[in-house]
Amino acid sequence: MIPDLAIRYDFGKVWDFLFSPIILEALWVTLQISVLAMVLGIILGVVLAVMRVSKNPFASTLAGIYVWFWRGTPVILQLLLFFFGLRGLIDEDIFRDNWTRFRASVIIFALNEAAYMAEIARAGILSVETGQMDAAKSLGMTNLQAMRRIILPQALRVMVPPTGNEFIAILKNTSVLFVIGIVELTNAARIQAASSLRVMELYTVAAFWYLVVVTVFSIGQAELERILAAGERDQPETLFSRVIGVMGGRRE
Amino acid sequence: MPRLFRTVLTLCIVALAAAFVFAACNDDDDGGDDNGGGVSGVPELEDGVLNVGSDIAYAPFEFYEEGTTTPDGLDIDLAEAIAAQLGVEIEFLNIGFDGIIPSLDVGDFDVLISAMTITDERSEVIDFVPYITVGTGIVVPAGNPDGITGVADLCGKTVAVQIGTIQVDILEAQNASCAEEINIVIFDTNPVAVEDVRTGGSDANFSDFPVAAEDAALSDGTLEVVDTQIDPEPYGLGVRKTSSELKTALADALQAIIDNGIYAGILADWGLEAVALQ
Repeated sequence: MIPDLAIRYDFGKVWDFLFSPIILEALWVTLQISVLAMVLGIILGVVLAVMRVSKNPFASTLAGIYVWFWRGTPVILQLLLFFFGLRGLIDEDIFRDNWTRFRASVIIFALNEAAYMAEIARAGILSVETGQMDAAKSLGMTNLQAMRRIILPQALRVMVPPTGNEFIAILKNTSVLFVIGIVELTNAARIQAASSLRVMELYTVAAFWYLVVVTVFSIGQAELERILAAGERDQPETLFSRVIGVMGGRRE
Repeated sequence: MPRLFRTVLTLCIVALAAAFVFAACNDDDDGGDDNGGGVSGVPELEDGVLNVGSDIAYAPFEFYEEGTTTPDGLDIDLAEAIAAQLGVEIEFLNIGFDGIIPSLDVGDFDVLISAMTITDERSEVIDFVPYITVGTGIVVPAGNPDGITGVADLCGKTVAVQIGTIQVDILEAQNASCAEEINIVIFDTNPVAVEDVRTGGSDANFSDFPVAAEDAALSDGTLEVVDTQIDPEPYGLGVRKTSSELKTALADALQAIIDNGIYAGILADWGLEAVALQ
């Protein structure tokens, strides 16, 4: 049976909500948490990857256990455990005042992301030929020096596309932060939808903003890949390089 | 060896797929058969089943019995009594509170019973049959450190509430007359909002009075409920505006269980005689 719908899609409402301050504020929250968590996640992830490929059994085991835990449990559980759990466990005002929703969100997402970034960075490191390490060492570099100056810069190029994936995933996954009371884009739309009953219109608005962010980000990522491929024979074409090429009269 | 492995893998996948298909078929069967008594003249009840939607995380109105997946609560008991009065089976669908009205609208189920206060905005979209009268309650940490006695005292405080509830509206309305605004923190479900108060994230939780009282009672003395009920309003059974026969049937069945005393008995079972329809 298909009932006559009482709630009908009204495209005009999409415009009303598209630039509503509540939605834009929520978009800003989404961006802040995603970018901060990603930056912290990349740094910690690279450190973990270096630990994991190192010959020191203590370091590699520690990194392995870290990845095992943070990758092996859902982020929603991690949020509940480390936000409410810690607040319940540590009944001190100084802790509760500082362990805010926003900080907890950034830190827990960063810790979670680090586990995935560790695997991406490890794949990047393993993609660099072993001869590179031997060559660096023959020049008198220590393991860490060789890692920093020779291996990681080359690994970076392999890491960019999967890291881009991770950022897009974080951007969208921030909606689970609703469990600890953070209102980001998806849930701002849900809350507005619940009070106005303009459900599909608000979800359209949220989808629009996600796509705007992802589009801008993808253009940036393509540029970054082009820059990192500077020494390669077949440089990838990007939107900008094509525009510049056409304007400069270059023949395609 | 690789061949054997491939054969085994293929068999496993086929078996798994078959299991899913058969499980799906069984589901269909459960819904359809062994329900002899349909209700003629009411299209939604012709298959002999009353399909009910509810956000089952709001004790004592609707919740799962501890350690089970059996819904229980005042709303659940009333819905079951109404279904029995109509002579039909009942099936519950658990759905998030903010999704209930849209879900009813598209026909996922036919009646909503989910501790829903009748409001003008909601009445524009669906029809209601009033069944109990309930006000809002405030949950605060034990000892009531901020000395909260009513909505006006919440100005400048952080208050945890559930998405889509009338409590969000009450707080937003109050904000208009606050010198310092209420920081309204919205959660998916009410139990998480209560947990936020318990762990010091918010100063108070705002929910329907019986829910607030239950949460305080179950908190091992860490929470208490402020002893005033705010704005008692009727709750409604919600139906689509096109379900006029169903609405009449539900109203008649409700009146019948009020008349024969079953209604009063259920309220008494939950210690909630005070919420009887006024």
